[in-house]
Amino acid sequence: MRQWTWGILMLALGVPVTAAWAVKKDEKLYVKARNTRVLKSAAPTADVVAVLQPGQQVTWKGADPKNAQWHQVTEPGGKPGYVFQTNLSTKPPDMELVAKDGKTRTIDPAAFVSSGAAVKALSPGAEKYGNAKGGGYSNAVSQIKTLEALAKRVTPVEIDAHVKQAGLFPVVAPNTKLGAQAKKVSK
Amino acid sequence: MRSRMGLLVAAGLGLTSCAQLTQGLKKANLGDDVNRVVVASEKVQSCDKLKVEPAIQEEYALGSALAIHWAQQSGGLMLSGAAEEKLNTYVNTVGRNLAMQSPRPELAWTFGVLKDTERFNALSAPAGYVFVTRRLLQGVDNEAQLAGVLAHEIAHVVLKHALHQYVSVKVSTCKGAAVTGAVVSTVASKVVGASRLDGRLDLDADTELMGKMVEGTVDAFGKGNRKDEELAADALAVELLLSAGYDPGEYSLLLGKTTGGGGLWANHPSKEDRQEQIADLLKARQKETDPLARVDVASLQRPALPAAFAVVGPVKKSTGVAKDAK
Repeated sequence: MRQWTWGILMLALGVPVTAAWAVKKDEKLYVKARNTRVLKSAAPTADVVAVLQPGQQVTWKGADPKNAQWHQVTEPGGKPGYVFQTNLSTKPPDMELVAKDGKTRTIDPAAFVSSGAAVKALSPGAEKYGNAKGGGYSNAVSQIKTLEALAKRVTPVEIDAHVKQAGLFPVVAPNTKLGAQAKKVSK
Repeated sequence: MRSRMGLLVAAGLGLTSCAQLTQGLKKANLGDDVNRVVVASEKVQSCDKLKVEPAIQEEYALGSALAIHWAQQSGGLMLSGAAEEKLNTYVNTVGRNLAMQSPRPELAWTFGVLKDTERFNALSAPAGYVFVTRRLLQGVDNEAQLAGVLAHEIAHVVLKHALHQYVSVKVSTCKGAAVTGAVVSTVASKVVGASRLDGRLDLDADTELMGKMVEGTVDAFGKGNRKDEELAADALAVELLLSAGYDPGEYSLLLGKTTGGGGLWANHPSKEDRQEQIADLLKARQKETDPLARVDVASLQRPALPAAFAVVGPVKKSTGVAKDAK
């Protein structure tokens, strides 16, 4: 029963769970993380061929025989390269488009991310609600606003530096620059 | 008369899943009492239109108000001085890295540390607000354990568990108004009105409506998540940890420090069930033949906590009850 529940969840998340759903060569896969890098070779320090955004698709060619955590793909522009395993998904991510009518729209993922159309911070109604309640609630409004400003300063640059220092997987890249990568982490 | 009316109302509610029968009774025109029941039944059926996924603005309004509520209830956030801000920056770095790999990477994810030194607790609210108590941080041994807690809360937001409770509050408010036969408040009136349109509420435009919906959702929180929702959040948490390169075994160890359930948390699965699921899921991913799903356990990390963590105070042996509320 529990395995059945996982299976449904994993499929919903785009993680293949059995051989029947296993990814096949030339299948289209979605990129799931912000600033996903397509690299020239199967190494985290290799030159950057392209930088993709959540929802963009690549064509899967297979896992690298020497390091199965890197997967050979063709990016949307047709250039070949390598993407880290956990950047790829069989399902598209939610893009949280702010649409007044609440309807889903087909959008260009890269344009969406750069447009800043994602969800904004503390809603005006919530702020009004908290301030109207007064006391500790007004203080909480002010603290949440401070916290949101602090969170916003934690960009992919800071995340990338931390990931390198902690030895974690290179999933969220610091920027959208192409070509050779900076040699040292500035932290 | 009252008991007859009650019987008819009950009969009418019994028909709520049978619109055709309601239509039949309406056509038959069996008298005032029956007609009133038919009208109530139609209104109750209309309330089901509220069972729609809230629009992102609605989620964002509800989530922000709940975040304010959680901060107030926990004595505020640890934001006094540079050291506490540094701690929050660290928690946001760990949390946002995980969230940017989740199925909702574009929410404005915000992570914060609550001052609460009593409860070993983590909370989240729709639209990407995640909080951990200072007490919980005092029981964390490494970054993988912290990441596990944050990933579990991210999962609740991604899977929209709190939003589902909010929707049930909307539906019950609407049905309450339908059964009494009178719209007793402006809030109920707006909820009933939404059931006749697209089922969505503009919380930002109405502070009273916002307050009632937030309070209703907070009350629903008291019952905790369903067992299957908790297990689903753990399963997604494991996926997020594996995606980022953390050892999910550390999250399991942290769960092991928690004690019991009961009370408001009676619906939670046992820690043994949760740990077993994590172990099974990890084993399954190690054996996976699909190159996209296979996990190399040797590459998973348990990073040490940074100096910024010192501000949480001495790490004491956990005696509290580690829980999460959404």
